[in-house]
Amino acid sequence: MSIEPFNRLVKLTARAFYDDITKMESQPKTGRSDNRGIAVVVLDALTRRQWVREEDLAKELKLHLKQLRRILRFFEEEKLVTREHRKETAKGAKIYSAAVAATGDGQQTGKEGEEKIKLHTHSYCCLDYAQIYDVVRYRLHRMKKTLKDKLEDKNTVQEYICPNCGKRYNALDALRLVSMEDEYFHCERCNGVLVPENDKLVAQEVGDGDDNARRRQRENVKDQLERMEAQLKPLNDQLNRVKELAVPEFGSLQEWEARATAAARAANSSANDPSKSSQGLGYGGTPMPFLGETKVEVTFSGVEGKEGGVKSESASMDVKLMPPWMIKEGMNLTTEQRGELKQEAKMDGSSGQVDSSDDKKSTVQNGEGQNIQEEYFKAYYAALLKQRQEAVEAAKRQESLNMPDFDDLPSNRQVGMKSKREDDEADNDFEWEQPPISGNASESYKVNDLNAEAEPSGDDDDDGVDWESD
Amino acid sequence: MFFHIVLERNMQLHPRHFGRNLRENLVSKLMKDVEGTCSGRHGFVVAITGIENVGKGLIRDGTGFVTFPVKYQCVVFRPFKGEILEAVVTMVNKMGFFAEAGPVQIFVSNHLIPDDMEFQSGDIPNYTTSDGSVKIQKDTEVRLKIIGTRVDATEIFCIGTIKDDFLGVINDPAAV
Ligand SMILES: [Zn+2]
Repeated sequence: MSIEPFNRLVKLTARAFYDDITKMESQPKTGRSDNRGIAVVVLDALTRRQWVREEDLAKELKLHLKQLRRILRFFEEEKLVTREHRKETAKGAKIYSAAVAATGDGQQTGKEGEEKIKLHTHSYCCLDYAQIYDVVRYRLHRMKKTLKDKLEDKNTVQEYICPNCGKRYNALDALRLVSMEDEYFHCERCNGVLVPENDKLVAQEVGDGDDNARRRQRENVKDQLERMEAQLKPLNDQLNRVKELAVPEFGSLQEWEARATAAARAANSSANDPSKSSQGLGYGGTPMPFLGETKVEVTFSGVEGKEGGVKSESASMDVKLMPPWMIKEGMNLTTEQRGELKQEAKMDGSSGQVDSSDDKKSTVQNGEGQNIQEEYFKAYYAALLKQRQEAVEAAKRQESLNMPDFDDLPSNRQVGMKSKREDDEADNDFEWEQPPISGNASESYKVNDLNAEAEPSGDDDDDGVDWESD
Repeated sequence: MFFHIVLERNMQLHPRHFGRNLRENLVSKLMKDVEGTCSGRHGFVVAITGIENVGKGLIRDGTGFVTFPVKYQCVVFRPFKGEILEAVVTMVNKMGFFAEAGPVQIFVSNHLIPDDMEFQSGDIPNYTTSDGSVKIQKDTEVRLKIIGTRVDATEIFCIGTIKDDFLGVINDPAAV
């Protein structure tokens, strides 16, 4: 709960100040057409994570690692992000992946085998909420102060005017104007007592232009100040909202890993008992209020993590952002899968359809033959439609680069599909149930493996190649 | 800001100073002529720290004076806009106060004195906060920021502000 306001703060900040990437692109030679707004994407992505390995993040965002690093370095300088670099052996890397996976539902088994990381320097990054809060406030303060100083003549030279003869002086003439008899300045020409022109309408810099220009400039500043107040109001409001809340603190990478692992252990012992899990987290030394929250988050990333370590984003994202038709497309994304699907459709229409419904319904249907058959038909038609769409979509999709969600879906689908095929062969309604149970262990395993390997390396897998090259 | 620089000057020396002590005489005259002066370009010459070289003298027609080109090292002080200085208050009046930082005179007008300080006239005119805890009068030491300079060929005058963070009174002789 407590992290949400802070994430909103980060998102508002991103849009207010980092909308235009040109600020950080010192060399605009990155051929990629238009990458303004990438900074916002990166910050948004970070709000959905805790500590994340930068390679992983780059892959999930479909960014070049170099580009991502440049952005992260920029944000590090801006004090929004903390980074840690460490040389790790395969073992060291495993600690991190284990922490990620463990925080899910302890299903890191699929992962461990594939983790072959050499001794490399790995960089991790994480939002530093406490500092972000301070930095944003400071930035707003400076902005406001600069404008207000201008408005209040703070650094301007006081002017004086002689009411008798109208001659003007300013503070730099002061030495000549003092009189020994009283405490005022006197006109050189007529010895009249000068009055300060404290009329705020005239703000003057030494030797500046004429009055009109000054007045215009002044109006300008005032206008600027007003616009700033108005436009940054959401950000200010959010800052106020967040003020009373304790700041989410993930600690250093090491602490975080320790805590995550401990939490996972606690969670394993008692599945969903919040008190237990919070204890586990507490072990790492986090402030208590966040524990519940933190745990939720961890679970998210964990789930994704188990699916190959890379997807973290997509799983949660799909749910929110993907319209249903997208998901269908996603099924057919990889060429392999597409092939499979078609075959199946020809040989046995039902099989193709099954997978779509399968994922969602298999658990519910549990042995109700009728239901299943109905579903079968529905699904069959759906599948046919889908295939037609898919052919079109696939073509389109291959052109569109930024669809982080696709990797994710195939893996799910594959599981479903394979189980279906088996079903078809068996041709038995009863068997339906089995794949998820018995077949799952072996089948889904492989699937996971494929995915997992594809992602870390990125180019072993056909799928990976397709998408990356696009 | 202080700078250590090398300047050059043509010194005219009366023939009566010639002799064994010519060089000493030249240097002491240089010090007398130059130290404490101000040039708009280099600022105030605070002190001569050394003579780089003395060129060949040139006898002026008809007078007998000899001109020596002298290169000398000196410390100069040149105030800049935005610079923070510590200064001693020399005069307080209704319009503000004057202060000195070494050779530089600075005027702080009353609108650049914090709003919570009021002018009090009397034997010792001063600016005082309502609770009397902070007082600016003659001989008070203040830290101020230069916001403007007027540089003439032979004069530099500054205006400053104490209306900002960490500026203002840094010691109060009345309180000691
Ligand atoms: Zn007059």
